[in-house]
Amino acid sequence: MVALSVEPTRIMQLASRDRLAIISRREFLHATVTIGGGLALAVRLPAQETAALATATPSSPRTPAAFVQIANDDTITIITPAVEMGQGGHTSMPMMIMEELGGDWQRLQVTDAAAAAIYNNPMFGQQSTVGSFSVRGWFMDLRRIGAAAREMLVQAAAGEWRVPATECTVAQSRIVHARSGRTRTFGSVAAIAAQLPVPQQPVLKNVADFKLIGSSPPRVDVPIKVDGSARYGIDMVLPGMLYAAVKTCPTFGGTLKSHDDSAARRLSGYHSTVILPDGVIAVARSYWRAKKALDQITVDYDLGPLATLDSARVSQLLHEGFSEPGTVARNDGDVPAAMGHAAKVLEAEYEVPYLAHACMEPMNCTARIDDSGCEVWCGTQTPQAAQAAAAAVLGIPPQQVKVNTMLLGGGFGRRGEADFVTQAVSAAKATGHPVKLIWSREEDIQHDFYRPAAAIRFRAGLDSAGNPTALDCNVVTSSMPEFHLPGPVFYTGGVVDTNYSIPNLRVTGVNKDIGIRFGFWRSVNDSHNPFMLESFIDELAHQSGKDPYRFRRALLQHAAAARQLAVLDLLAEKAGWDRPQPGHYLGISAFQAFGSYIGTVVDISAKGNAVTLHRVVTAIDCGVAIHPDNIRAQLEGGMVFGLAAVLRGEITIDKGAVKQSNFHDYPMLSMTEMPRVDCFVLASDAAPGGVGEPGTAPIAPALANAIFAATGTRLRSLPLSRQNFTFSTARS
Amino acid sequence: MFNLTVNGKPLGVDVDADTPLLWVLRDEAGLTGTKFGCGIGLCGACTVLIDRKPTRSCTLPLSGAAGKSIVTIEGLSSDRSHPVQQAWIAESVPQCGYCQSGMILAAVALLERTPAPTDTEIDNAMSNICRCGTYGQVRKAIHRVAKLATKS
Repeated sequence: MVALSVEPTRIMQLASRDRLAIISRREFLHATVTIGGGLALAVRLPAQETAALATATPSSPRTPAAFVQIANDDTITIITPAVEMGQGGHTSMPMMIMEELGGDWQRLQVTDAAAAAIYNNPMFGQQSTVGSFSVRGWFMDLRRIGAAAREMLVQAAAGEWRVPATECTVAQSRIVHARSGRTRTFGSVAAIAAQLPVPQQPVLKNVADFKLIGSSPPRVDVPIKVDGSARYGIDMVLPGMLYAAVKTCPTFGGTLKSHDDSAARRLSGYHSTVILPDGVIAVARSYWRAKKALDQITVDYDLGPLATLDSARVSQLLHEGFSEPGTVARNDGDVPAAMGHAAKVLEAEYEVPYLAHACMEPMNCTARIDDSGCEVWCGTQTPQAAQAAAAAVLGIPPQQVKVNTMLLGGGFGRRGEADFVTQAVSAAKATGHPVKLIWSREEDIQHDFYRPAAAIRFRAGLDSAGNPTALDCNVVTSSMPEFHLPGPVFYTGGVVDTNYSIPNLRVTGVNKDIGIRFGFWRSVNDSHNPFMLESFIDELAHQSGKDPYRFRRALLQHAAAARQLAVLDLLAEKAGWDRPQPGHYLGISAFQAFGSYIGTVVDISAKGNAVTLHRVVTAIDCGVAIHPDNIRAQLEGGMVFGLAAVLRGEITIDKGAVKQSNFHDYPMLSMTEMPRVDCFVLASDAAPGGVGEPGTAPIAPALANAIFAATGTRLRSLPLSRQNFTFSTARS
Repeated sequence: MFNLTVNGKPLGVDVDADTPLLWVLRDEAGLTGTKFGCGIGLCGACTVLIDRKPTRSCTLPLSGAAGKSIVTIEGLSSDRSHPVQQAWIAESVPQCGYCQSGMILAAVALLERTPAPTDTEIDNAMSNICRCGTYGQVRKAIHRVAKLATKS
């Protein structure tokens, strides 16, 4: 039995004691015979505990409550609680079951779970593929399910052979009794196994014995993504389906006053206009006709209370937050006293703008309503949110909504929301037909749940030797009130959990309700707070006349920071910190994020304000590395996501509305700008950390620190394009 | 009524002449591998080959595609055997995969013109946007095709 201690993470610290206790008790394995006569295995939550999970909705009666099904023909079907949005959920979730099961990877089929409480992530009690939680949350439970299934299959074969189960081994979906030379396939004993009692304490492998975990088997979703057969939400087609296009009030909080669709009604293929509280949906017999009809509908909006809001005012509101009392998230030592004794006090203010997710697949949903309830098809990170949204439109219980999760053409946090489900179900309800609703890119950019604008004011006290003795951080942004649970203030994450050893450290959070919709954006708080803190730490190093890498090293000389220190040291080694090429300048950043330790070194040169990027080196300690190739892909992809934001990512507000509308004014990174990237995954047998998001965070501070090293200009706000810098990538 | 050739087969469609080829392919021909991304010809998710040239289908009206020969991702091979598809699998390029049909077709066109492209030639030819950041793997896969072609 492997003993893995799950380290506390930000979210777990936020959860109440009761909730953690509930989650830790959820270990009831349960077997059923499948319709085909195979074995199905699940973890079952006792009913009262299901009800106790505040965010859970009851499981749908149409849902087979199972995670793994082994059919008589040896097909292994794994129902994955994590959706596939490019992060590798459809591969990593099965790997954890298959490792313990001993199944043949070639016989694997993967399907998405329906909306059901049984699929709630054990770590935070919601069925959400968010927060880089999937592997972290499911690492033990999915392995237990695989191990229990293996023990039952072995028991079944051993019983048939009348030999002790301990003499049998398992590999590649076969049970082998070496002494007698007999083998059985999983499928041939699955029906017998399903009749056996389910082991409640199956024996798990030691980390050192993992064969599948730590290798990089082919991603299950790759073949279908090279021949056009992958099915995303936007690809859904139903008989008799109508198509819908939508536009809503450009200002936040605005509402529809009136509309005139007389011109649209004259178009061929037009079906109807559906009125929303904040806009209109045009429904037609093809998507193009729906879009043309939408363009013909004139609308008059009540622009609402934010009609004069602009980005300058947003910035002003954030800065006003610096002088508000706020919530104290951490208070070590005595910051005011230490500042009083400091030889030198430094102060700096940092700020970042709103950002859009811009998933490549625009938001969409297909909905069908019938006598028994409603069925929706969409890419969603949170099936139960989609279920609840549909149920709310129709006034029916959530159990009467079946959610079919499709592949996601990008999620990044955007598809944790369900506003597009509400719209599609509204259209299906109004028309009495199945409807596929597709957003335009313009609607997507202008009606996102944005990465909130954020600002921090830092004050630091240095002693006469240049060592930081005090650090005061005022974090101001917009965040969700429900996260105001016991523990650190959620949105101060990335600052409040710093591993730097500074004896007097205070972190204060001010949550500003500005009125702009905000949400989770890949790496969440770590998309802004570490940029600011790691830049300010760099400022302190330069003020002290110390090397930024060694300045950080000195602050990480304690046991709890050992893993971060190892990442920092590896980065310095791999990037050649002490031997940059002539004319090149390096910038470094490292911190903990999503239960992992991550860092990046950026190698640049500069002529005036023309910056050339030569190389990015990223290292991560994410505990047990499930799929190293995909970990590197996530680090590289996360870096691209972060780099696009650093260079020119900016959603600006004018007259209460978003100014940007498509990729011409909200540009992404291009192939031309893609740098050489080297990613390193540290070997570790610690419990898994997050992987999907950490890679986005360290590029901003590392690049900003490199730019300071090269030019002497300190970037205290993003993006780079605002600061008169130009950017290119070197080709070797 | 407009007549085109899609993946080697004749296709007759009776829709508005201004309907972008993208929506004809997706909603009339049922070829959903071609994706809608931006609607203004910038992101390249809708890339198809028209008379072997990579073309953004979201801004090309049906009237402009009539009589032409169009290849979509579904028409590249019947069994993922096209060298570019094979390289994409070998390098495990896709993440979310939404942009990859367009990426693959852009790469097919590039490699046909330039069988062993340099990094700069790849940069110049591959204007498709990938939000997951697979550019590095795309580059590797293109080089892989070139390398295998030289060997054979």
